[in-house]
Amino acid sequence: MKITQHLRVPKPWIIGVLALCAALVLPLFIKSYWLHVIIVAYLYAILASSWSFLAGYAGQFSFGHMAFMAIGAYTSGLLGKYIALPPLLDILAGTLAAGLAGFVIGYLVLRFKAAYLALFTIAFSEILRMVLKGETQITDGDHGLKVVKLFGETISRLPYYYTILAVLGVVLVLLFALSSSRIGMFLRAIREDEEAAYARGVDIVHYKILAFVITSMMAGLSGSFYAHYIGLITPSMMVLPQMGLVIAMAIIGGVENLAAAAIGGILIQISLEVLRELGAWRLVFFGALLVVTLRFARNGLLAPLFQHLFAFGPRAEGRKETLVDGD
Amino acid sequence: MDYFLALTVTGLVMGIIYALMALGLTLIFSILKIVNFAHGEFYMLGGYFTYYLVNHFTGLHPLIAVPIAGLGVALIGLFFELGFIRPIHLDKIERPGEYAILVTIGLSFFLMNIGLAIFGPYPHRPPSFFDAPVKLGFISISADRLTAGVLSVLLLLTLLILINKTWLGKALRAVSQDKQAAAIIGINHLRMNTLGFALGTGLAGLAGALLAPSFGVTPDVGAQPSIRSYVIIVLGGMGSIPGSIIGGIIIGLVESLGAGYFPDPSRGLNYKTAFGLIIFALVLLLRPRGLFGRKEL
Repeated sequence: MKITQHLRVPKPWIIGVLALCAALVLPLFIKSYWLHVIIVAYLYAILASSWSFLAGYAGQFSFGHMAFMAIGAYTSGLLGKYIALPPLLDILAGTLAAGLAGFVIGYLVLRFKAAYLALFTIAFSEILRMVLKGETQITDGDHGLKVVKLFGETISRLPYYYTILAVLGVVLVLLFALSSSRIGMFLRAIREDEEAAYARGVDIVHYKILAFVITSMMAGLSGSFYAHYIGLITPSMMVLPQMGLVIAMAIIGGVENLAAAAIGGILIQISLEVLRELGAWRLVFFGALLVVTLRFARNGLLAPLFQHLFAFGPRAEGRKETLVDGD
Repeated sequence: MDYFLALTVTGLVMGIIYALMALGLTLIFSILKIVNFAHGEFYMLGGYFTYYLVNHFTGLHPLIAVPIAGLGVALIGLFFELGFIRPIHLDKIERPGEYAILVTIGLSFFLMNIGLAIFGPYPHRPPSFFDAPVKLGFISISADRLTAGVLSVLLLLTLLILINKTWLGKALRAVSQDKQAAAIIGINHLRMNTLGFALGTGLAGLAGALLAPSFGVTPDVGAQPSIRSYVIIVLGGMGSIPGSIIGGIIIGLVESLGAGYFPDPSRGLNYKTAFGLIIFALVLLLRPRGLFGRKEL
């Protein structure tokens, strides 16, 4: 046992650095169109990993992640349009607005069982979409709200690529730090047994709200960036199938493993692009894969693979064994 | 005054249909203790089945297609329960609460995309049950909606009799109250679970089939009605049958009157479901267990 542990050379951070290097040189090898695909894939990676932090660590299921993304996007877009706030400031405002909305909703529903958050956020998301769609004088509805590009008139996608890569990196590092901190420990305790955690003095509602606000802000940040990258936002960014797609990415990747969820997001977004000619059937396939993964491989498809290859990420299964074996 | 009455009648008719759908969700929740997040997609399937049946078998009256569609949807619900929900009750699943939320939202994503892949994004509308609007005094209401409302009342009554007066209903109620005690007196709770799920999804399918001629069907048509049902069951109290009927009627009235008296009527229609969200928030703030709910949350 001990020997195999010492032989386990590739530590997570080595893999992380290697992945980062690969991501840094990637634009040298691919065309501009694929660069766009990867930029969007990184956005999905932010959404999937932050969603999986909330779901996999805190055990809270928000179906409003895309709504928070849209709050970020529309706050940025509207502030830019009406008071000409510079992009960097309105991205900050968009992120904060998503956090604020997360706080209000979290305060309202996180006192109750997990199903209430799911019920409320799904309703909130659809109704916010109706409002954004309906208030055409302000939001331009389905025609789309024009947003200034982050890097002005330049056609090159490179600056966007490196910016979103940096954002993804920061988000992942932050989520990892959180998950291995005291807060992450409290969240896990809450997920395992809420009443026991409460009895041990963990202020459960407080920590659930904290996790919800942080992940909502990450969704908002990705939305603000998306608005300034694409330059046009419509309420259709937050339809329920989009939310379902992010859930599929996180679950198929591995909901208890942040890196696996992020890579699940990237891989699924790329395969959606590769399989483009299959049209709507692609999503049927991923829908079926999502349900089957849930039933037969609760840890996802990528996470067990990573653990096997690199001993990477928290091992949900492994923990029990160490406890039993003692050493 | 006439305007008010007209809105009230429309609200009542719609409320009864909403109640039918919410009742399906309530049955599933009280028996299986899970929220079916794919409820709206079973509603959608009901609409598409009716459309397909009427188009495929020429001469079939849409009213005859409705029960067949409901049955078809119930069958799909039944198979899904057997494959994906039953393992929860056989203790094969870790964290059953989380699993139930995720697997039903996953099913919803899958079904929505199947609808999109087969029928495309554009609305399909099965033919009307009966043409021409019906005049009740000064109130004019479309015959389709009235038919749907009347049939919903009949269905609700049948269902209440089934639940309250038959052996089967007693068995279902027994399982919903205490599945171990039910097992002791010889009720197979697994079978009741499957039956309850099929019944609940079938009701959503029937609601979809009944409303398809009025509103048409698209792959995402289930979103609004399912959200409405969520609001209704929270308002009525999770798992309460009278709660979901009264909740349904309240939501029907609030939507109809709210949209009718909204300062800008065209916007009011758009915000119909938004009133539901406000009610949802108020219930959570003021009376989290809903009108008729049991105390535990």
